[in-house]
Amino acid sequence: MSEEGKDTRSFWQVFKAGLVFENPLLVLMIGLCSSLAVTSNVSNGIGMGLAMTFVLLFSEIFISAFRKLIPNGARLPIFIIIIAAFTTIVDLVMKAYFPDLSKSMGVFIPLIVVNCIIMGRVEAYSSKQRVVSSIADALGMGLGYTWVLIVISAVRELLGNGTFAGIQVMPVSYTPILFFILPPGGFLVFGLLISANNAIKRSINKRETLAAKQVSDQQKAKENA
Amino acid sequence: MKNNIIKLGLILAAFAVVACASLAVVYQVTEPAIASQAQDALNSSLKELFPEATSHEDIKGAVSSSDETVKIEEAYLVKNDLAPLGVAIKATTASYKGPATVLIGVRLDRSITGVHILEMSDTPGLGANAASSTYYVDKAKKITFPGQFTGKYITDKFEVKTDVIPITAATVTSKAITKAVKVASASAGEYLQAMALGTAAPSAISGASQEAAQPAAEATSGASATSSGSATTQPAKPAAETTSGASQ
Amino acid sequence: MDLMKIFVLALLVNNIVLMRFIALCSYIGMTGDIGQSIGMGTSVTFVTVLATAVTWPIYHYILMPLNLTFLKILVFILVIACLVQLVEFYLKKNVPGLYSAMGIYLPLITTNCAILAVTFESIDFNYSFIQSIVYAVGVSLGYLLAMILLAGVRDRMKTSQVPKFLQGTPILFVATSLIGIAFMGFAGLMK
Repeated sequence: MSEEGKDTRSFWQVFKAGLVFENPLLVLMIGLCSSLAVTSNVSNGIGMGLAMTFVLLFSEIFISAFRKLIPNGARLPIFIIIIAAFTTIVDLVMKAYFPDLSKSMGVFIPLIVVNCIIMGRVEAYSSKQRVVSSIADALGMGLGYTWVLIVISAVRELLGNGTFAGIQVMPVSYTPILFFILPPGGFLVFGLLISANNAIKRSINKRETLAAKQVSDQQKAKENA
Repeated sequence: MKNNIIKLGLILAAFAVVACASLAVVYQVTEPAIASQAQDALNSSLKELFPEATSHEDIKGAVSSSDETVKIEEAYLVKNDLAPLGVAIKATTASYKGPATVLIGVRLDRSITGVHILEMSDTPGLGANAASSTYYVDKAKKITFPGQFTGKYITDKFEVKTDVIPITAATVTSKAITKAVKVASASAGEYLQAMALGTAAPSAISGASQEAAQPAAEATSGASATSSGSATTQPAKPAAETTSGASQ
Repeated sequence: MDLMKIFVLALLVNNIVLMRFIALCSYIGMTGDIGQSIGMGTSVTFVTVLATAVTWPIYHYILMPLNLTFLKILVFILVIACLVQLVEFYLKKNVPGLYSAMGIYLPLITTNCAILAVTFESIDFNYSFIQSIVYAVGVSLGYLLAMILLAGVRDRMKTSQVPKFLQGTPILFVATSLIGIAFMGFAGLMK
């Protein structure tokens, strides 16, 4: 993807990027702020993931749609206004229709407004690209963010509480390892997850370089023959 | 140059105005739902404490806390039609990591109908067990920490390890909640006393229940009986007994 | 809650980074160097206290009476963005030495979750003005403390052998986890 010009990848390619290779949490390392705090149980993780995706999606759509109308000098304040507006909408809607989840997530819903992912993507991508590409980017990044949150919260809730989204999964005789629900446990799980993702990337890269090498070896053999 | 800044400012203002207007619209739509959440939550908590309740009256102005570390946030006179059933008080005190908020109900006979933990931000697995419905302080009888207060009299000691079973390894939390329950129930008792004597602030109590409550006050609070006309005590007593029987 | 308790809870027991996961972006990104950490930490402290001092009255004397509380998120973040801009202009003009020392951090501070979190919580917890300021100081000093600690640890790690699978960012989180466990010991401070 070229920084200056239009992104020529297909919708699917842009979408896929956010899920693994350019995963905001594990690869780009942005958006950490309000993330780990909501991973003490799966419901919160899913709630935050979807709330963030909503704000990201609509912010990207609006900013991309109006990108010609946003003057460069007042770019950042206008981005902030738009992102803050959608964050407020999510906050109000959750308070009205999902009060328990809203209370459980507390101050982290309003904090979505400073989630580095949203500001980052809006500045780097949707302020320069078409609306359709922006939608793909938002969905990819948002869902990439959400699946990581779900994995972390699943591990923490299962090991730390024996439940998954409140449903008892581990046998009743299982004594929950409290450590995982507590903050240090969250940090540890996240660190190990990054490590695992790095390992996966390394092995995929290794395979690709190996395959590329094989192809070039074959070509060389053909040329020499 | 100056024109450019003005232009930027105007565009910024335009975006801001549109944003604020849209938010105002969303707020209008969601506000009724948000307001009714609070009301529904209160109604259902009061109903759990007093199953026969049909209405409640705000008596916050007439209730005060005797301990400055326990703050009384809300107080209600819970009624079944016009007959008062008791008092519900929501009190907050500082606990281990943050504030702990409890809702307690006290019946006319000065017994506690129940204690609900509304807010608890202490350590999960330790202090937070106060709010857990599966953590039992008495495993045999399956009684939770707040559950053990049901049926206690407001004149009890409310001392952790004496008449209150603490949560294991969470003494601070246990003490904080016990203190909140003690102070809140004492305040409730004071209000009920004042109501019985007719010295309580606003309360729409019918004459019959007031007289019935009077001898009941004498019977249970012993020392502080100051009502005049002990001649009325005799015939009113059987009425008092039946009333207390009904409100149990 | 009395002021001392608010301060100690914010600084240690409920440390904003180690116990509440807030402000991680800058925590991971700016602790490569102890000087950088101190710079960032003090800048954040300054802006947080200033932001709290400005947003608290705005909420209580403007938003609440006019029934505009739903504009809280929008107004607070814009106020913080403006404050940071103003601080930047002022420093550039009047204290150029400090500006070049702090300069790179200033734009980043706008999106620092800790500042916004403090302004929101001062409202949510119903703190008085003084309580809010004390809370702001406690939280931001806690942030500074966490930054310095991790910077120190990273410094030591440069000369130690980190297992291959933990190299890079993972080891930072493991280290944070361990520092966090130590901080949990502070919980006993409050009686």
